[in-house]
Amino acid sequence: MNTLSPTVHLIDDDAAVRESLALLIGTVGLRVIPWADPQAFLSAFDREVIGAIVLDVRMPGISGLTVLDTLVAQGVDQPVIMLTGHGTVDMCRRAFKAGAAEFLEKPVNDELLIEALQNAVRQHVRSREHHLADREARERYAQLSEREREVLGLIVAGLTNKEIGRALDLSPRTVETHRANLFAKLQAESLAQLIRRYAALVDEHDAC
Amino acid sequence: MGESWRGRRWWWLGGTLLAAAGAVLIARQSIDTQRALFETDARIVHRLLSQQAVQHDAILDTLALLQPGPSAPGTTANEQRLPALYPHILAVQRRDRDQAWPDGALTAAETTSQRDRRAVIAAASDGDPDRYRLVLAAEPTSYALTLSVRGMVPWTEWPMQPNNSPVRISLALGEQRVDLQTGDTAALDAGQGWRFSFHKPLAAASQPFEVVAERQLGWSQLPWVRMAGWTAAVAAVLALVAQVQGLRTARRRAEALLRLGQVARLNTLGELAAGMAHELNQPLTAVLANTQAAQRLLADDPPELDTARGAMAQAAAQARRAADVVGRLRAAVARPQRPDATITDHEVDLADALRRALHLLEPECRRRGVVPELQAPDAVRVIADPVAVDQIVHNLLTNALQAMDAVEPAQRTLRLTVQRLDDAGELRVADQGTGIAPELLPRLFEPFFSTREGGLGLGLSLCETLAQGMGGTLSAANRPGGGAVFTLRLPLQEPT
Repeated sequence: MNTLSPTVHLIDDDAAVRESLALLIGTVGLRVIPWADPQAFLSAFDREVIGAIVLDVRMPGISGLTVLDTLVAQGVDQPVIMLTGHGTVDMCRRAFKAGAAEFLEKPVNDELLIEALQNAVRQHVRSREHHLADREARERYAQLSEREREVLGLIVAGLTNKEIGRALDLSPRTVETHRANLFAKLQAESLAQLIRRYAALVDEHDAC
Repeated sequence: MGESWRGRRWWWLGGTLLAAAGAVLIARQSIDTQRALFETDARIVHRLLSQQAVQHDAILDTLALLQPGPSAPGTTANEQRLPALYPHILAVQRRDRDQAWPDGALTAAETTSQRDRRAVIAAASDGDPDRYRLVLAAEPTSYALTLSVRGMVPWTEWPMQPNNSPVRISLALGEQRVDLQTGDTAALDAGQGWRFSFHKPLAAASQPFEVVAERQLGWSQLPWVRMAGWTAAVAAVLALVAQVQGLRTARRRAEALLRLGQVARLNTLGELAAGMAHELNQPLTAVLANTQAAQRLLADDPPELDTARGAMAQAAAQARRAADVVGRLRAAVARPQRPDATITDHEVDLADALRRALHLLEPECRRRGVVPELQAPDAVRVIADPVAVDQIVHNLLTNALQAMDAVEPAQRTLRLTVQRLDDAGELRVADQGTGIAPELLPRLFEPFFSTREGGLGLGLSLCETLAQGMGGTLSAANRPGGGAVFTLRLPLQEPT
């Protein structure tokens, strides 16, 4: 298993529960890192890796809900699945409000747990991809010159080259050059792709 | 603590103020009454003395009008009989035409009398302040009366006891002053407290004496007994209020403690359940996860036998752990076993137990409009723990009442029967409720089984345990006519 395979962090103070759940989760090919101590987990786990977190609500010293709050406050984006031995409606509501992805009762059925984990991992992958694409688009957008951004704004607004030239007091030839440059810089293959990826950024920029 | 101290301080302050205000009011009222009495007495004295003075004028006027008549020689003149009639007229003098008065004072008085056309006063010839003379000029003969100031007091009509009245009465003329009644000299001289005084000239122009009445009301003469009585009454009322307040506070505190106790008990129960859930859930989670992992491992191709074997061993170990938890729990809440039941068990009359429970539940019955029918033809005594029997009966009655909440009040009947069987005493509680669903009947005495929303499901379970502990049975059935009947059987007392 390489470090890029999805990793499940399993936090439970009970060794028997930890080991059995790790074994169960391992049967579907997910990498499991068990943690007995929530504090050790918080200070040492790998925040970059794709995966999910399985957290017991009732642990000595620090409650699972507190750990969840800490994770959310630190901006950790791995989905968190809460496990509890005696879930009350109130506790369930608090967990979801705090940002839990799933709330499961012990003893937990294998299918339920594995499905929840697979969903969580998929969700995490998607959010990471989205995040990555977003970051790349921002980096490319930052390379544009001031004039190119103006031209991009008008392209997104639906103007033709001629209209852009008139609006910016430029010759259609110059507009054409800017257009070619920004397509190259933004690595856009079509007008549709350009608009889909960058319209939001242009709006955001205009709003500033 | 601070709260109560502050409260008590206000009570003290309020009580003191109330007592002081009342005492001042009582004192003022007393002073006002004394003053009114004093003024009435002084006015009476003034009127009596004025009447005397006017009488002197009238006597002189009469003498002047009649003039000396012819009187037989050798006899006393008529006017000389006056001192015998009026003891305070000490002497009568006359000045006939061309005669002169024996002293200048009388001459001067007559001159003034002539001018003012009324009687005029002259000092006594010897300067005794208790005596004065009254002169009326007339033609041809003028008359003069010598009068005793003290003598003119009409003691029979006097409004006070002259010897022990605290009021001083005097008649004053210029610098001269004659005390008619000395009053409480010591108090008047000391001048402490409240002084009442009355000054008014006599209503006779000829004798311009001023009636002076004085009274000194000392501190010691305030109505201390009544004032003390008032203070004591205030203190008593406050003490009573404080006591009532204290009782009420105590009762409120007791109620709060009771509520707290109930809440604490519920919390303890909840904590017990949560702890049990956690303690059991951990091994159960491990058992389930291990067995399911093993299932998956065995389904692999090729099956991972070794790992699966390990998982199954783990599952077995965790199942044992769960059993241990249950064992520990039972040991923790186990009732101490009674070594010999017959020693602690008593003779219990089942009908009595029913009546005790009904008495406790009377408000509940009334609220639901249920009139229990008790049929206990003869005394049935069983061997049992009275407290346990009470608990079972109470539980059965409560269940029966609650079971009938679902039906019309008119339909609700609660039939209670006590009868003697061959080998046992039997107590039956029959209700007219909705009965028990046949499929639930076998599970009725299982712990944590309840048909009631939010019910803990321990009541009947506990009752059955208690009944069996006493060598009895508890059973449930549906009645043919609807409703349920619970039957408690306990061993009869052995005839000794």
